Amino acid sequence: MKKYIFLLAILALNVSCEEVIEVEVPNEEPRLVVDGLIRVDIDEPYIPVEVKLSLSSDFFNNNTPTSAESVLIQYDEYEDGTIINSFFSNLAELEPGSGIYTPDPNFSSDQRIPTSILDRNLVFNLLIRHEGRLYLATTEYVPAVPIDSLIQGDGTLFNDDETEIIITFTDDPDRDSFYLFDFSFSEFLVTEDEFYKGQQFSFSYFYDQIFEPNTEIEIGLMGADQTFFNYMDLLIEQTTNDAGIFSTPVATVRGNVFDITDIDNMDLFDNVEQPNVFPLGYFAIVQEYKDTLVIQ
Amino acid sequence: MYQHLRLFVITIFFLSSICLFSQQKFTISGTITEASSNETLIGVTLLVPEINTGVTTNDYGFYSLTLPEGDYQIRLSYLGYQDIVQTISLTQDLRLNFGMFEEVEQLDEVVVTEDVEKINIRKPQMSVNTLSVQTIKKIPVILGEADVIKSLLLLPGVTSAGEASSGFNVRGGAADQNLILLDEATIFNSSHLFGFFSVFNPDAIKDVKLFKGGIPSRYGGRVSSVLEIFQKEGNSNKFHMTGGIGAVASRLLAEGPIVKDKAAFLIGGRASYAHLFLPIFDVANKAYFYDLNAKLNYKINERNNIYLSGYFGRDVFSVSDSFINTYGNGVVNFRWNHLFSNKLFSNLSLIYSDYYYGLELDFVGFKWNSGIQNFNVKYDLKHYLSEKLRLNYGINNIYYKFNPGKIVPNSPESGIVEEQLIEKYANEFAAYIDVEHSVTEDLSLEYGLRFSYFMRLGQEELNVYENNNPVIFDPFLLIYREAEPIGTINPDRGETLASFANLEPRISLAYTLNSDNSFKASYTRLAQYLHLLSNTSSPTPLDVWTPSGPFIKPQLLDQYALGYFRNIKNGDYSFETEVFYKDIQNRIDYIDGANLIANNAIEQVILNGTARAYGLELLFRKNLGKFQGWLAYTLSRSEQRTPGRPPVEDNGRSNRETGINLGQWYSTPYDKTHDISVYGSYTLNKKWTFNSNFIYQTGQPTNYPIGQFEFQGIVVPYYGLRNQERLPDYHRLDISATLTPKKNEGRKWKSEWVFSIYNVYNRMNAASINFRENQDTGVNEAVRTSIFGIVPSVTYNFKF
Repeated sequence: MKKYIFLLAILALNVSCEEVIEVEVPNEEPRLVVDGLIRVDIDEPYIPVEVKLSLSSDFFNNNTPTSAESVLIQYDEYEDGTIINSFFSNLAELEPGSGIYTPDPNFSSDQRIPTSILDRNLVFNLLIRHEGRLYLATTEYVPAVPIDSLIQGDGTLFNDDETEIIITFTDDPDRDSFYLFDFSFSEFLVTEDEFYKGQQFSFSYFYDQIFEPNTEIEIGLMGADQTFFNYMDLLIEQTTNDAGIFSTPVATVRGNVFDITDIDNMDLFDNVEQPNVFPLGYFAIVQEYKDTLVIQ
Repeated sequence: MYQHLRLFVITIFFLSSICLFSQQKFTISGTITEASSNETLIGVTLLVPEINTGVTTNDYGFYSLTLPEGDYQIRLSYLGYQDIVQTISLTQDLRLNFGMFEEVEQLDEVVVTEDVEKINIRKPQMSVNTLSVQTIKKIPVILGEADVIKSLLLLPGVTSAGEASSGFNVRGGAADQNLILLDEATIFNSSHLFGFFSVFNPDAIKDVKLFKGGIPSRYGGRVSSVLEIFQKEGNSNKFHMTGGIGAVASRLLAEGPIVKDKAAFLIGGRASYAHLFLPIFDVANKAYFYDLNAKLNYKINERNNIYLSGYFGRDVFSVSDSFINTYGNGVVNFRWNHLFSNKLFSNLSLIYSDYYYGLELDFVGFKWNSGIQNFNVKYDLKHYLSEKLRLNYGINNIYYKFNPGKIVPNSPESGIVEEQLIEKYANEFAAYIDVEHSVTEDLSLEYGLRFSYFMRLGQEELNVYENNNPVIFDPFLLIYREAEPIGTINPDRGETLASFANLEPRISLAYTLNSDNSFKASYTRLAQYLHLLSNTSSPTPLDVWTPSGPFIKPQLLDQYALGYFRNIKNGDYSFETEVFYKDIQNRIDYIDGANLIANNAIEQVILNGTARAYGLELLFRKNLGKFQGWLAYTLSRSEQRTPGRPPVEDNGRSNRETGINLGQWYSTPYDKTHDISVYGSYTLNKKWTFNSNFIYQTGQPTNYPIGQFEFQGIVVPYYGLRNQERLPDYHRLDISATLTPKKNEGRKWKSEWVFSIYNVYNRMNAASINFRENQDTGVNEAVRTSIFGIVPSVTYNFKF
């Protein structure tokens, strides 16, 4: 919904003019960034675990990859609130200095996580030791629904330089669902089923460009829990803050990874004393259905 | 509760009986009108110089003054009108109606007394700005559309969030804290086209008053200010038409008698041209607005008048028929003025007001309707007890129905399920008494008390939360998030979900040093039960109002103000300065990432915080002569804070909270440290008048990213504490020239041309600065959006 106000705002601001200007932005110490969105294709034997680590930068510079002392996923199987099984997957850097971590192929045992295990009641913990500090993120697997159809439309919204695609999928009636769409080109969209619960639902997405005929566009539909939905919603909003005057207040976009180095689990079981000590990024394991559209 | 009420009623009776002992006194009373049209005049001063007393006409042109038996000279004065001086012999009660004539501009002689918005040294009322409609029409504005709200922005203590933002901000208050009354009916959205224009047609307006502080107890319900606008009643003498053709909109207004001197009508319309702003798009887009003002009045006899007035306005946007957006206010109002005696004036108002917002999104397949309806009954009495004591008292009841939104599929193919967001109901009752009291020659007081009682009524469904807490705090991630309801209840409409009672004392005093100098002071407490849910930096029409209730407390304001007022050179110049301090409890704030739109459980994303504002205002005016104008300066600060809620014991787990923005004070979006406005008007001769204004303001608080990170290929700027940075300073110069052709003289058709240039030196003022990745180059950049560069325009106005 919020998107549409932006559209409105852009309309109203048509008389306005935009200009790139020089601005001196504040600067702070780099933070650890964890890109840990793991998209599961349930038909494959293993989960494609890949966690990317980097350091944040000021707004006009680039993030740099960073290496950690250790990266580990511990996943526990729960039954009636107690752990009945614990498993581990040790990750190793794919290439030195790349900051990309995948299950360690040189470990004495197979560190890959089989997809077959996902029907159990699992909680995944990502533990990272980086520059002497310890980081933890916890998540659970979220399923998705398949894309029923993907077609190209011929509509436009604001100008002729747009490409419309129409996506149809059927919501799972048994749960409150949240979805994350990956439209490629770093374009994402989140939606929740509040207004189309259990229905077959179609909507249009407009690319702000015209593609060459025969361009293949891959669309991914992922499941999300509410926390991840909120995170992505906020994150997308922060990046598409185009019509500034109607923009919502900006925020830090805190993810689900936190710095637990100074948290002792005895008297201080919270993070309130260190509000400025936090990494960025998110760790989530979600199901993804993909479909490809060939532009006419 | 009832005890309060009883006390209140007793007070009224007590005060009413005070003056029954006066003797050998007689009352003059009557109505003062504009002689040629019989339009009543608001705020005409009737002075009795020899005993240094006087009275001003009320909102319906009525006055009453009780004096000891004797002969007096009385003097009537009103801005832009010729004074009337008359000697009366008071040996019995007199009914005296006056008709005043407009000042004839005798420019060859020196004195021009048009627009004397003189300050009243003696009256305790402070923090009020009045602008005459003539002044409003002269002030150069964007695209030449005379605009009430844009004109108010030139006064001290009044700002707006920006050029394209709805509403206005008074003394560091939010836009939803202004009570906007059009003929006593509440207007919920004062802007057309996202704030480019205000909804008031200047041709249909008679009087504009803005109370920034020292708000009398007859007003309530909003904590920041009261903007009271009265529409004209219509000319009961002669048929007239007024109109104008401008660059953006045209307007036409007709008024005339139905029964001469007894009944009159007024009907006015204004419409912008379609495709406004959007000609560059090649798709079929539309954006336009229109509004209609209508009024009927009937003078039954000397003691009874009735009025029926209405306003209807709409904005329409549409984009290639796949996106249609309509919104606006509608108001109908019936009023009955009744004179019980020559000392007791009463007015009964029945008001229905409606705000509608609709949206149709064809490409998603739904229609969206939302709005507020309210029905308001008001009964106000004005009791002129003696020349030293006047009482205003009355009651008021407003019933509200809020429709936060209804979603309907717009075609059978749409996958959208019809859904009505839960409608909310509330009732607001108030009773007040206000005393205007001249204690001695030097000291006058206005004090009063308002009792307000708000009930949030039963609704279809209400969520129940664990520990009654709809917002939970994650002590690790340090973010607030929505709590899952543990159930719902289905209260009956007759049930009260929550109720709030507030006593709101008000007091103002004026101490007159001499005829040209006075000090004033005031204290105001106000309660506001409705909140505009808006977390954008400026309000949008889609913003939804929500009533106080089980999870949202009413906003409570305490405002203190002190002022010094001075007339210089017999009122040729005036100087006023005020300092104020405001403190607001229960100002709602939104958790990071709060989604307010179509949110059925708004309590899950808001917390109650506090707000404060303080400042200094200076206003220097030149009231007379060929050159008139003012210089206004405001130095102020406006902040808010939402600390963490106090911890409650709960299963041993920590539940300490950081609060929003880590519980620290932060600047509100309308915090403008320095605000300077200069307005000047120069009448060269009968043909030409020149006007100009200049505005300088500290840049609006904003946020710059403190860093950026990449997630799944998305470049995400991230931010620290709220509103730490500021946009570049805002400044602008506008000029206009009015040409009144010579041939107007002695003919019925009067016309004028207004040529104006907005933003003369084409300053690219930043409405916002956005940080984004350039889609073509992939490089990060900061982009400044400016709304208006230099905008010239021409308007043609006529009258016959």
